[in-house]
Amino acid sequence: MSARTLRALAPLVAAAFVAVLPLLVSDRFLLKIFTFAGINALVVTGLALLFGYAGQVSLGHAAFVGLGAYTCALCTVRLDWPWLLAFAASGAVAALGGLVLALPSLRLKGHYLAMATLGFGVLMSIVFVEAEPVTGGVDGFGGIPFPSLGPLLVRDAASLYWLVWGTVAIAVVAAFNVTSLRPGRAMRALHGSEQGAQASGVDVVGVKVRTFVASALLAGLAGALYASVVGFISPSIFTFAASITFLAMTVLGGTGSLAGPLVAAVLLTLLQYLDALIPGIPTETAQALQRYQEDIYGLAIILVVVFAPAGLAGLWRRRRGGGEAA
Amino acid sequence: MDELLQFLIAGLKNGSIYALVALGFTIVFAATGAINFAQGEFFMLGGMLGVYFSGLGLPLPVAAVAAVAATAAIGAAFELLAVRPIAGGDPLRIIIVTIGGAVMLRQFALHLFGPDERPLDPFTPGPSIKVLGAAVERQTVWVWALTAVAVIALALLYRRTRFGRAMRATSIHSDAARLVGVDAGRMVTASFALAAALGAVGGLAVAPLTQTAFSVGTGVAVKGFAAAILGGLGNPVGAVAGGLALGLLESFTAGYVDPVYKDAVALVVLLVVLFVRPQGFLGGSGRVKV
Repeated sequence: MSARTLRALAPLVAAAFVAVLPLLVSDRFLLKIFTFAGINALVVTGLALLFGYAGQVSLGHAAFVGLGAYTCALCTVRLDWPWLLAFAASGAVAALGGLVLALPSLRLKGHYLAMATLGFGVLMSIVFVEAEPVTGGVDGFGGIPFPSLGPLLVRDAASLYWLVWGTVAIAVVAAFNVTSLRPGRAMRALHGSEQGAQASGVDVVGVKVRTFVASALLAGLAGALYASVVGFISPSIFTFAASITFLAMTVLGGTGSLAGPLVAAVLLTLLQYLDALIPGIPTETAQALQRYQEDIYGLAIILVVVFAPAGLAGLWRRRRGGGEAA
Repeated sequence: MDELLQFLIAGLKNGSIYALVALGFTIVFAATGAINFAQGEFFMLGGMLGVYFSGLGLPLPVAAVAAVAATAAIGAAFELLAVRPIAGGDPLRIIIVTIGGAVMLRQFALHLFGPDERPLDPFTPGPSIKVLGAAVERQTVWVWALTAVAVIALALLYRRTRFGRAMRATSIHSDAARLVGVDAGRMVTASFALAAALGAVGGLAVAPLTQTAFSVGTGVAVKGFAAAILGGLGNPVGAVAGGLALGLLESFTAGYVDPVYKDAVALVVLLVVLFVRPQGFLGGSGRVKV
């Protein structure tokens, strides 16, 4: 098989493997871990567009995930909305929040957006705790129903897994189309040279704002899925640390690629549950990994940016002898 | 009237801290053209190292000086180890590296000092001072005094010394400075050390009033940055004025509207300034619009 066909087949093989995984794994806890990996992958797909194609980073995406999660909880529990409507509302609310941050910050050259998202993240983690009548405060918000698609209730581990990864698949295909068609070329041009892109008629600000809003939307949808899969949410989930985790996945995954960040999101999620995946692992090792998790992310971010700025995707491209990866 | 005075005092106290952090942003921005996301962590380290050194039995003044010196050394080491290898490249890379550094410093403090809030003794214990019917805590006076000393020392350093002139030359045009014999790389290291020291002074001065913890850096970074933007990023006078203005705005919002909104003020200020007047309200180096 030539490298070319291999390259074309790889995503299909990976997708098929992801699709049949619940048939191979019967352990419900393991399936749940892979479901969480999918939820993270959804957030990171949006961040990959933002980082790899628009040259911006977010330090507050956990806040958008939280916004989506609480919207979903409120709509289903308090307002009794059908799940799909609540799911859509979660994405919409997060996207609106993204628009409010992006419009002022992205009109300017530079990286004001990163600081605005950091501020937004800090603020929202306070809001989730303080707005107790709405969010349940530190005690959290429980009793969130399982997802339902019309009359079809999604409640067993395998179906939840398929729902999450199905959403990821739709998001990745949409993102892939965006990046390989005209908007994607505009985004890539922008990463190369903003002036150059602008001179060629690219609406630089518009592309950046739309990319950020799309990433906030995906984060909101991921939050809604998390709330529905777990049934309980609390402010301790949507923290600065979580935002840094998403950033680490994105940076490690690399620029100009959707596959790289996707793989990184899955790998780093699995790393958090290493003791469940490898039963023989000593408890001390697992605990140390847990304790030094954020240190690992911080160090990984620095090392990747200093030594391999194009991340996993870049390493893969180099090994394959250059060329554009999707 | 008393109430107004009390809000004024509280606002100027927090504002002084924001001013110090904003100066740190300004100094590194002038030297590198990038935003240093670890700036808030230098503030945190100042307070936490002060608690740590005084816990070792060192007299408070010695512990304070040691904390500021150690933080400055950490700032310089951070620049040499992580920022230097990618200097002159894409500012996005520098920013991401400083984010990674911020996470590392935060975790370093967590592992070393634990997750709890830690108190620091007031520099001069005693009852509050009454001024026109309002109470001013003695430590608040320390915050003002130390901020004033730091700002004046910085101004003298920049204007009067050879070293300060070299720093300014580097920030105006790094290549031209190099041509006339300035070691531009060393100036960037110095700017990180200086920014770290300023942050540490702030963290140390306010620790007896608010306690401190490993996690306080992030919030302070946002507020210091909002202050720097308000005054015009890259403008030291603006950074101080922006810090004081933000402190007052927060204090009046908490006092006259609702304390709940206090923490939202900085983000709103940041977004409004970026939207309305990105070069800040005190002129300064306006960033180029896309």
